[in-house]
This record gives sequence, structure tokens and C-alpha cells, in this order.
Amino acid sequence: MAEVKTRGEVVLNRVAIVAVVVALIVMLTPIYWIASTAFKPRSLATTVPPTVMFEPTLTPFAKLFTKRSQLRQPVEEDVYEAAPWWEKLIYDDGEQVVKNRKTGAITSSGYWDRYKNSLIVSIISTFLAVSMGTLTAYGFSRFKVKGEQDWLFFILSTRMLPPVVVAIPMFLMYRTVGLHDTHLGLIILYTAFNLSFAVWIMKGFVDEIPREYEEAALVDGYTRLQAFWKIVLPEALTGIAATAVFCFIIAWNEYAFALMMTSRNAQTAPPYIPSQVGSGLPDWSVIAAGAFLFLLPVAIFTFLLRNHLLRGMSFGAIRK
Amino acid sequence: MARIELTNVQKFFGAVQVLRDVNLVIEDGEFVVMLGQSGCGKTTTLRAIAGLETITSGTITIDGKEVQNLKAADRDIAFVFQSFSLYPHMTVEENIAFPLRAVRSKQAEREAEVKEVARFLGIEQLLPRRPSALSGGDMQRVAIGRALVRRPKALLMDEPIGALDAKLREQMRAEIKRLHIARESTSVYVTHDQVEAMSLADRIVVMHDGLLQQVGAPEEVYLRPANLFVAQFVGSPVMNVADVTVEGEGTDALLRIGGANGFRVPSETVSHLNGSPAKLGIRPEAVMLSHDAQDGYIETETTNVEPLGSHDIVDVRVGDETLRARCESGFAGGEGQKLWVALDPHRAHFFDAASGNSLRRTA
Repeated sequence: MAEVKTRGEVVLNRVAIVAVVVALIVMLTPIYWIASTAFKPRSLATTVPPTVMFEPTLTPFAKLFTKRSQLRQPVEEDVYEAAPWWEKLIYDDGEQVVKNRKTGAITSSGYWDRYKNSLIVSIISTFLAVSMGTLTAYGFSRFKVKGEQDWLFFILSTRMLPPVVVAIPMFLMYRTVGLHDTHLGLIILYTAFNLSFAVWIMKGFVDEIPREYEEAALVDGYTRLQAFWKIVLPEALTGIAATAVFCFIIAWNEYAFALMMTSRNAQTAPPYIPSQVGSGLPDWSVIAAGAFLFLLPVAIFTFLLRNHLLRGMSFGAIRK
Repeated sequence: MARIELTNVQKFFGAVQVLRDVNLVIEDGEFVVMLGQSGCGKTTTLRAIAGLETITSGTITIDGKEVQNLKAADRDIAFVFQSFSLYPHMTVEENIAFPLRAVRSKQAEREAEVKEVARFLGIEQLLPRRPSALSGGDMQRVAIGRALVRRPKALLMDEPIGALDAKLREQMRAEIKRLHIARESTSVYVTHDQVEAMSLADRIVVMHDGLLQQVGAPEEVYLRPANLFVAQFVGSPVMNVADVTVEGEGTDALLRIGGANGFRVPSETVSHLNGSPAKLGIRPEAVMLSHDAQDGYIETETTNVEPLGSHDIVDVRVGDETLRARCESGFAGGEGQKLWVALDPHRAHFFDAASGNSLRRTA
């Protein structure tokens, strides 16, 4: 449609474009910085002014997953030739992989274990928070609940104080009941943390789904549970996807509790990555590689669900 | 198909009573239209029959079986919503097949039945589409198809064509009628549009304030309204209603409205009025206009003319009252024209001024 725009609107439009570009630069620069540093050799990671053009290398990633030590003397030719490509990269950088003296097995840096922990805790807690949140929201939306507003306010109020305030009591409780440094402990924590958010967001989405859809299904011979499963859930998919993305990001990025409530077995990636700054000389490109890999799941998850995130709720065939 | 019977049905929403002692029998194969303003309880009645609303007291039976405590799913009834309520995430075919899946029928049977209903409604070519790609009329056809596919005992429709534009409404009205005749389904249809009610119904149920006002064939409701509400709700343009005093004895009586000269009518048309305050109701087509003085006509002046193409609606002043008359187009030139007016005494209705009930000749 051709729209007639006034001068003011044209100016406003340009200002908006400039603002968007500025916002994009502000938001994308750190990501660019991390991504570029992750592929830089150590020598270029901290140059002033920053190196923009360089030959990308996978050395930081090879280092990220392994425990290494400094090479005392140059590596022997035949050992170098026999090594896999990633070990060569490490030798090239003047370091060697720490190996078990008897078996020759490589010593892991522990990054991958932390990464797995992050995945386990985030995926399970997101699933729990979203499924419980959706059911709760459905209940509040469709049935008369005594004191509904008070309950909803109560649910929301769990988010009203900074979580760190309760960190020490939580820490003591977790130690007492044996949830300290367990996956279950973090899953419970993140689920509880995300649940109020999930309930409120999902309530909005479920409210938008016309009751008539379910009523039609009820008249057509379905039970309420079947109607929920076959009609409400598919209709709420957009909302569920959006809620899941947010819950996942919150659980995935959580730092303070992960730092305090875990030490080894269940430690997630966020408290681990900065801890590498302190061990020996900081190798910024390795830290950047760790951070870069850490960004990927959220990016992929959001990318996969982008259609659901973008699609409005008004795609239905209901007349109001 | 089924006979539906409502006995002493009451419904409260909190402290508000929305259904007051509703007693109604819908015969097998009958097309009953519930007519009333929004909030009169017609939709609540329909939803109560379907099982989407619980009733506070009373009984509802379908084919002699009490159903008021059964779930909607167990009543074997189909419902068509005003909003059509097609599931957006399913194709038309899946939408129509959805009720069949509830009873776990075989896929081949399901496909055959969906095809048959689609052919019947002329929507075969729409089967693979999504509801969002359909026009309003087609959406409604699909919604009706979904309702019919299970061969329910009764078909309940809640303003099914209220959301369509006028032209399509007329077309769908005819289609629904054809469908009812072909399927002989017991149908209950809710609307606030009296034209729909008149054209579709075997019987009309007029509701107001949770009470049944009149139950009867369309002609009966139109020609012999039980009370003022029915008289003014059914018929377009609305029936003229005015306070009336009856004077004179003997062969002629004089009806006075708005303090003007009276209309002379044969006394037997008013002989049943016992002298208590009454209201006269007269439909615009029973108000007769003349260009020149005639016996029984009184002089008047037009105050407004509404040309409607096929006919005109002319407002004339009678004392302090205005009567609306229906006459052929171009009959009155414009406002302020001098005309003579009379009433057709045989089409005059009288209502008790206090109760609004019809005062009808017993003969």
C-alpha cells in the first residue's frame, strides 16, 4: 500500500533507523569481540589497537578442552608427526597436552563436563517450568479460582526480591538436605525461579485462546484433558515457545547461584569460564572460545523457534 | 434425532437469575428458533441443553433421558458457535473429522463420512485448506459440517450467521433451511434477528429477562403477539403502540390516541376491553393513509418519510403521538403534507397497560 507520509514522519523514520543501527552496534560489538577473539592466536588477543585482520585458528578451542603444560624443549619430530591436528596446534603454541603416564589418555580441562551440566540443568528446568506454568496458567484462565488475583500476585511476588538476597539461606538449606552440588538442586532452584515468570506469560497466551475452541471439542465428545491436549496446547505453542526461550536463557546464563551452590559435580559453565582467568596467565582467546561455545545453544534454540516467536497470536479462524 | 424437553429450568449466575422457570418441548425434527435481545437468556438456554452450562434446578431430557448432569461429550449433541470456532491448527478436513476421532472410528469410515458431508455442503474443494484461508460463509459451512458429521441427536446453533455480512446472511439462511429439511434434524437456533427467526422457524420462542414470552409458529407470534414485548420485538418496522381510551357505545366505538379526534371502529372489535387502561398496538401495515377525506379517516400531517425502495415508511402525527404507516413508495411527497389516516380495526391489538399482556377477544 502506498502511504502518504508527512515530512515529520519521514524524519521520524530516519531517526528510528539510526537508533536501531546504534542499538545493534552496541549489542553486537561484544558478541563480535568474543567471536573474533575465540579464533585469534594468543599473541593477537590483547594487542593495542585490536587486530581486526588475522588468520583464524582453532588453537583456542583445542586448548579449551584440554589440560596443558608449557613445553620445556621443542617436541620431537616423530611425536609431532604422529599427533592429531588439534594436538599439533597446541605444540605449535609452545604447550603440550597433559596425559596420563600409564594409559596416555588426555586430561580433560573439565569444560565439556560443565557444558553438559549446563545443558542438563537448563533443559530439564525449562521443561518443568514451562509445563507446570502452562498447566497453572490454564487453571487460572479457565476455572473460577477463589482469590485468583491474590494467588497470581503471590506467584509474582516470588520475583520481587533480588534472588541473591536468599542465596545464603538457600546455601545452608541445600547443604543440610544434601542438594549442594547436585543437578537436582540446581534444577529445583531454576524451576522455582522461572515458574512465576512462566505462569504469568502463559496466562496471557492462554487467555487469548477463545474458550469456544475447547467448548466445541467438549461438545464433540472429548474430555477436558483431551481438549486441552488437542486444542489448547497446539494453540498455545507460540506462547510456549516464547516462554521456553526466556526460561532457557535465564537458566543457561544464571551465575550467582551456580557459583555458590555447586563446586564440581554439578557446576555449570558460567562459574567455570571466569575461573580460568585466575589459573596461570590469562589466555583470553581460550576464555573467548569457551564463551563463544556457550553462546551457541541459546542462539540455536532461539533460531529454531524464531517463527513461533515472531508469529502473532491472531492467526486463528475465530470471529469476534 | 431427538425430542428435547426442558422442565422448570432455572439458572443463576451468582445472585442474578438468568433463566426463570423455562418450560419448553422441542419435538423431533422441529426447527425451533429462540429469539430475544442480548442478555435475555436464549444463549444460556442453548448452552444448558448442550451441557456447556450447568443449570441451578430443573430437568433437561433428550429422548426421555435426563441429561442435565451429563457432560457435554455424553449428550450426543452438536453445537455451532457464532465465532465458528474452527481449530486454526487443523485443515478443514481435520476440523470436520475431529468429532469422529473422539469416538475412535476407523480412518476409512472417517474419510468417507467427511467426504459425504463436504459434498452435501458443497465444500469438497476446501478440504485441504486451513480455516484462515476461508471466507466467512465457507467457515460457517465447515462449522456446520463439523456439527453434522457425527449425525448428532440435535443441532444447536448460536447465532451462526450473525458474524456474516447481510448478503451472505441471506444466502446462508436459505442454506440452513435447505439443510434442515434434507436432514430432518432437530434444530435449536438462537438469534436476535427476527427476520431470521420468521424465515427459519417451525416455532419461535421469544425470550425476555429469562422468561419465555411466547412460543408459537411464526405467523402466530407475528399476528397474535402474547404481550407488548413480543409485539414490539417481532416485526419491522416496529409496531406502533399508544395509550388509548375507548369511548362510545352502540355499533361504533371511538378510539382516542394522544388526545386527538378518535378513530371510529366497529364496537365488537373493542367489546372485550373492560375499561381498564389499555394500550393500542397497530402494525405499520394496518395504518391506512389516504390523500383525501374518507369516512372514518381523520386529518393528519406527515412528519417524516423514509423511502425504502419497495415501500415507504411514513410518520404521521395523531394528537401527541406519532404513528408509522407502511405505504407504497412515493405515496407521501414529504414532510408537512396533509393526509388522512385510519386504522384497520381487525388488525388492531390491545394490551393491558399495567401488565402488557394481550387483551384478546375470546371469540
